[in-house]
Amino acid sequence: MGFEQIMVEVLKTLNFEYIFLIAAGVFIGLIVGALPGLTTTMGIALLTGITFKFSGHSAIALLMGLYVGGVSGGSLSAILVGIPGTPANASSTQDGFPLAMAGKGAQAITISRMASIIGTLFGIGCLAFLTPLLTELALKFTSAEFFLIGLFGVLISGALTGGDIALKGWVAGIFGLAIGMVGSDELTAWQRMTFGSPELFGGIPFIPIMIGFFGIPQVIEALADEKDVLVAKLDKTKVKIRDILKYGWVALRSGLIGVGVGIIPGVGEDVASWTSYGVAKKSSKHPEEYGKGSMEGLVAAETADNSCIGGAIIPLLSLGIPGSPPAAVMLGAFLIHGVRPGPMLSFEFPAFTYQAVSWLLVATIFMRFFAMWLAKPMQKILQIKNAILMPIVTVLCAIGAYSLDMRFIDIQLVFFAGLLGLLFKQGKYPAAPLVLGIVLGPLVDTNFRRALKASGGDFSIFFTRPVSLILVVSIVLLILGQLGFFGRVRSWFKRSKPAAAKQI
Amino acid sequence: MDESKIRLRSLDVFMGLGFLAVGAFVAYDGFIAFYAPQLVTVEKASNPGVSTIFIGALMGLLGLVIAAIGLLGSGHPLRIAQQAVSETLRSKAFYKGVIALACIAVYFFVFWDRIPYVVSTFLFLAGMMAVFKAGAWWKIALIAGTTVAIVWYVFGVLAMIPLP
Repeated sequence: MGFEQIMVEVLKTLNFEYIFLIAAGVFIGLIVGALPGLTTTMGIALLTGITFKFSGHSAIALLMGLYVGGVSGGSLSAILVGIPGTPANASSTQDGFPLAMAGKGAQAITISRMASIIGTLFGIGCLAFLTPLLTELALKFTSAEFFLIGLFGVLISGALTGGDIALKGWVAGIFGLAIGMVGSDELTAWQRMTFGSPELFGGIPFIPIMIGFFGIPQVIEALADEKDVLVAKLDKTKVKIRDILKYGWVALRSGLIGVGVGIIPGVGEDVASWTSYGVAKKSSKHPEEYGKGSMEGLVAAETADNSCIGGAIIPLLSLGIPGSPPAAVMLGAFLIHGVRPGPMLSFEFPAFTYQAVSWLLVATIFMRFFAMWLAKPMQKILQIKNAILMPIVTVLCAIGAYSLDMRFIDIQLVFFAGLLGLLFKQGKYPAAPLVLGIVLGPLVDTNFRRALKASGGDFSIFFTRPVSLILVVSIVLLILGQLGFFGRVRSWFKRSKPAAAKQI
Repeated sequence: MDESKIRLRSLDVFMGLGFLAVGAFVAYDGFIAFYAPQLVTVEKASNPGVSTIFIGALMGLLGLVIAAIGLLGSGHPLRIAQQAVSETLRSKAFYKGVIALACIAVYFFVFWDRIPYVVSTFLFLAGMMAVFKAGAWWKIALIAGTTVAIVWYVFGVLAMIPLP
């Protein structure tokens, strides 16, 4: 498809309807993101259920608007009340809230907004440039590579988000893969783990599980532990362009970190912003200011989590493997709306990547204005009691899940997924690998068996192709690294050196 | 090791055993498929049981390792669990959480599909807000009524979803 044709296709999806929906998505996203307890992932899951009747790609445009709005909206509450609206903005709280308490709230919001814009634009640029390249590469992949990429994604996501111990992330991811395999097998139509229930023959629906897993635990926790919120007042300071340009290098480096983390399957914005914050603090001339109200720290955190959006969409569009939990839910939404991400997307919808780029650009423009307009009313919105907000969220969880297929079992699934979510939170098991596992379950399963079928049951197919070999080596190194193998080798070398010196 | 970490390790024992049980079930389901007479014509390499045996075994193994780490870290998981449960049962937050979960369960399992949507949702919203002391009764009624009206209009009328 030529440049002109692509432009025609892009302009077709930039009419009033799309622009209005993107604006609505950004607006909803900013509010969802700003309200502590409601996450971007949950917002996308809820809205997917609500928008499933929308025509064409308009629902996807709306969800992309919500993604952009949600990630940057979280910084509003991080700055104003010191509670991150979403996990992605936890690092923004470190410096945003102290700045607001020092009477620089408006300045902090403006600077963080500019950082969000720079980050989002950087991510979009990388999305436009890298997606076609990765798609070209992915077209050469066989089932063996797709299986290994899926497995690697689940394992690395588990390792990076495991927190307590990496094994927890891995078991969460493997559990997700098992959930993703429930239902009728794609190759033989054999029913797996359905307990004979015809409602499970089509598999466990992804969206109700996501709504329940993220929504119900938040509702329970918020109601069980209602806290008084201290809202910082906004000043009237104007921010000049040169105030932002001072942090140009920090923003560029954070943008790169954000995109890099975003491309890693299932890791997401929170890891991106903490990594960027850590790197910025280490390389800063004034590390002592971090955590006490450093604009530099705020810029580092906000740029990275926003650039991660574009980064997370790159593997989603080119490989069909989401780079973050919100992107994983987006994958579910894509499938509902007839878009199957992966290398074949460039044949089915050749202009889709550029349409997505244009929607994200429009969303960034709206985010710039809405975030500033919403800052004042948000001071009031953030004081809404959980006792009012959470019952409404529960009603939306139920109707969001029900509206997809109008089945009572989906409501039950929301509840049981909620219980599972509560258990995972108590045990400190990360959600991201589970989400990724559920999404990638069918991909890992079918490609594993297709590869074995193609090789006549010979497992060497997973080692004899260059990309497969690299992936196998990466998986082995990842597992050894997480089990502390390299640390032990290093300490053994350290111990053996002085011993050798003594002998001499 | 601090108290919260020891408690977490104690929980790891039980959750690890849970994952072991789920993994065993998944692998068992895989074996059933692998030896199913209906799939005798399907090549063994592409048998649906292959993936589930692999995934089930992996999950079981990881569950076992987590349980072992938990056992080593906590020492006496049952005794620690007993302490944790008795302390949790005395906390206000726990009861609030149980009440919230019960309200949701009643709405999802009892009200939904049995009582007309508008009535059930209003009852749930007003009831839950009242239980958690959201404000004066008229305020609760106003918020619950407005929310139900908006949800009904957006989903029932605009999106034409047949609400129960």
